[in-house]
Amino acid sequence: MSPHTEPTLTAGRPVLEVEGMRIERTDIGAPIVTSLDLQLAAGESIGIVGESGSGKSMSAKALIGLLPEGVVASGTARFDGQNLLGLSERQWRSIRGRQIGMIMQDPFTMLNPVMRCGRILEESLLPERRLSRAERRAEAIRRLAEVGITDESVVERYPFQLSGGMRQRVAIAAALARDPKVLIADEPSTALDVVTQREVLALIKRIQAARGMALILITHDLRVAFATCDRIQVLYAGSLVETGRADDVRERPLHPYTQGLLLSEPPADRRVRQLVAIPGSVPSAADVQDRCSFSSRCRWAEDACRDGVPALAEVGEDRHSRCIRLPEIGAEMAALLSKSEERAVVPAEGRSDGALIDIVNIEKVFESGGRTVTAVDDVSISVREGESVGIVGESGSGKTTIARMLVGLESPSGGEIVIDGIPVRSWSALTPRDRRKLRQTVQTVFQDPYSSLNPMRTIGWALKEAITTHDRGGGNVEGRVAELLESVGLSASYAQRRPSSLSGGERQRVAIARALAVEPRVLICDEPVSALDMSVQAQILNLLQEVRTERGISCLFITHDLSIVRQASEYLYVMHHGKVVESGPTESVLDNPSVEYTAQLLNSVPRPDGQWLVTGDADEMAATRG
Amino acid sequence: MTEAAVTAPRQLTRRRMKSRPPLLIGLCLGFMALVLLVAVFGEALAPQDPSQQDVLGSLAPPSAEHWLGTDGLGRDVFSRMLAGARSAIMGPLVIAVVAMVCGNLLGLLAGYRAGLVDSLLMRWVDLMVAIPSLLIIIVVAGALGGGYWLAVALLTILTIPTDARVMRAATLEQVPRPYVEAAKTLGVSNGRIMVRHIWPNIAATAVANSVIIFAGSLVAIAGLSFLGLGAAPGTPDWGQMLSENQPLLFTNPVASIAPGIAIALTATAVNLIGDWVYEKMSRRGAAR
Repeated sequence: MSPHTEPTLTAGRPVLEVEGMRIERTDIGAPIVTSLDLQLAAGESIGIVGESGSGKSMSAKALIGLLPEGVVASGTARFDGQNLLGLSERQWRSIRGRQIGMIMQDPFTMLNPVMRCGRILEESLLPERRLSRAERRAEAIRRLAEVGITDESVVERYPFQLSGGMRQRVAIAAALARDPKVLIADEPSTALDVVTQREVLALIKRIQAARGMALILITHDLRVAFATCDRIQVLYAGSLVETGRADDVRERPLHPYTQGLLLSEPPADRRVRQLVAIPGSVPSAADVQDRCSFSSRCRWAEDACRDGVPALAEVGEDRHSRCIRLPEIGAEMAALLSKSEERAVVPAEGRSDGALIDIVNIEKVFESGGRTVTAVDDVSISVREGESVGIVGESGSGKTTIARMLVGLESPSGGEIVIDGIPVRSWSALTPRDRRKLRQTVQTVFQDPYSSLNPMRTIGWALKEAITTHDRGGGNVEGRVAELLESVGLSASYAQRRPSSLSGGERQRVAIARALAVEPRVLICDEPVSALDMSVQAQILNLLQEVRTERGISCLFITHDLSIVRQASEYLYVMHHGKVVESGPTESVLDNPSVEYTAQLLNSVPRPDGQWLVTGDADEMAATRG
Repeated sequence: MTEAAVTAPRQLTRRRMKSRPPLLIGLCLGFMALVLLVAVFGEALAPQDPSQQDVLGSLAPPSAEHWLGTDGLGRDVFSRMLAGARSAIMGPLVIAVVAMVCGNLLGLLAGYRAGLVDSLLMRWVDLMVAIPSLLIIIVVAGALGGGYWLAVALLTILTIPTDARVMRAATLEQVPRPYVEAAKTLGVSNGRIMVRHIWPNIAATAVANSVIIFAGSLVAIAGLSFLGLGAAPGTPDWGQMLSENQPLLFTNPVASIAPGIAIALTATAVNLIGDWVYEKMSRRGAAR
């Protein structure tokens, strides 16, 4: 049961055939998707890969008739002899669920919170089949078993009583309850933990194979698409830039954007000297509808690229690319890609002596409604001078709580934190002098750059505040603001702008500049790139690396992503359920995990080979835990 | 066709940036400007002395000389309306401003500090809200002999807790946001975080709430004046006029209806403007 079932295109007419689909906002006439073609054969899986703003979610919504008010789709989407894009709401009702099913990204909001899971499932069964209450219940239980939930009591539970993975399973069961021919999965695993992600993707693939259903998987993650789909369509700023067989696209990308994405993605199996980042950020479809959409960020762009929209030309068997310079730059692209296969040598020095942060047997217990939850359980971590330390773990493993305790946003329930020789039990008990010293030692870069900057204040205001809070000496504050902005790759004119006019990557740069303003010795980075677009992540990772080597500061890098931690840290702690289960030099931990859990985490990183999604009994057991 | 599609988005941004107020809001703004003008220059604008009595010419219907007729003592109703605008606006303005300053401070403090400070403040607020405020004002103002500024002071004290409660809720929503935590980790002082970080983000609510308070106290003061607990008898004041001219409903109905309409229009206009300002302010900076 390989994920790459042989393409069945030749087997017959496609189930769904989309031609020149254009989606636009009617109020201003701005396009969201300028052109999308798609041919989906029965039993085939197609991955639509794109970053935020590429229009991938809107395309999914158009194909199931759920476009929001004020957004319309034109073109054709032939399904079962009718054009989907011209259906009335009444006609849609006989298609949705029965012919085309959909799973959405967020399992936390997709299920009605006041309905028990059993009722959600019963409601999604075909209304024509008149079943008794008991029969409906039995059917719901059968459907749950199909998605790997064997615990019958789940039908009596409310969605909030289930874990994210369980919820996504219930949602899949509901989406499949009327046996649709096509399943559209919009980022079905993005909100889930890495281990659960693999289980859910495997489940979708298994059901697809069992039912011979066609699948459209919409994702921002190339690795997920390669591991799950037969064919890939890369969507950028509202138009397809490249399509082809999954393994073909992966080995031989034929559009600079796809190639850039592949290069900027940190490899999971080795450390590279520096990630190759794509400069800039994703434009809106409306801004690039008269040129090659990638021309503003492409290293090979010429005047010709900005002169009209290039056509999606056939460049091989079942292979299309929108790059007009492909014949000239093809060789160069291939060379660049093979160069990135090199492995960087990691300095094999031991850890230095001076511990800047020493966490000893720390504990954190949260109490809510009479229940106590141990978030951090007897954890010891140390960060040495100039070293980058990674903490990796799934959500709920306690890694963020540790970061919050280090900067005084939470107080530990037990144990000891020593930062630069100052013992920290409770920040409020510190002398003002010690507190100031600590603030200048430890600074944080938060996960979400969209909310970690005050939306009502300009960038300059924020940086000025960070500079003057500890340094009342005055001096040339404006000059230092410009300097800081420059050090994170932004021009001084950004000082006048508000966060709302900045892209995610630019905001994270500002957040890093703000943390650097007090000249800290340790930078705590809590998932610093997980809220950013794929093509921007590498920029920020490179910037952090640069800042670290230039200023010689230490770094505590907290993430769920093993490939990121491999690039960004030298020493690694693996956390699970509030405990450190394994620690050691990053390379040796990741290459030779000594603990079962670390191995499981490593195994959950998407791999293109066919074995990745083959689940064993262990996964099925894990699925029913609840 | 294609060209139109290309230029369309730009036009939208331009239109959005200018964003003229809608017609209704324009009318409200115009009306309030007029009321404010009259409040400042009321007596100077009045065609006749508002307190000049003319017993022989009393109860005259609207005419060229007396636009809104005369009241029971022969005073020109139109002039009294103009002169009364000041007391109609002054009191509510004082109440709204003082309640906003005190209420915002208390609300920010309660929402940000949480714990004991929050409990103490909120129990006090609960107590104040539990008391039937109008009744208290009537009793206290009655016992102290009434008076316009006494009514204003009492209303202010009773309004602060409601404002504080609203602002506390708005603050609570901001406190867990990462930008507040980022400021904390930078070592920014609590006072500065409250005033310079959180307040600008809840200013829209603060302003909107104050506008509602303004409109509410406009009506409340008029009501107290009507009951004889506000403006002193004889002074030109919309609420006072409503009560004085009430018996004239069948002889010169305009004399009692006109001040009523003035009160209702002003309160409505202020409320509508408040809504519009709130929407405008909360859109600022909120866009991603």
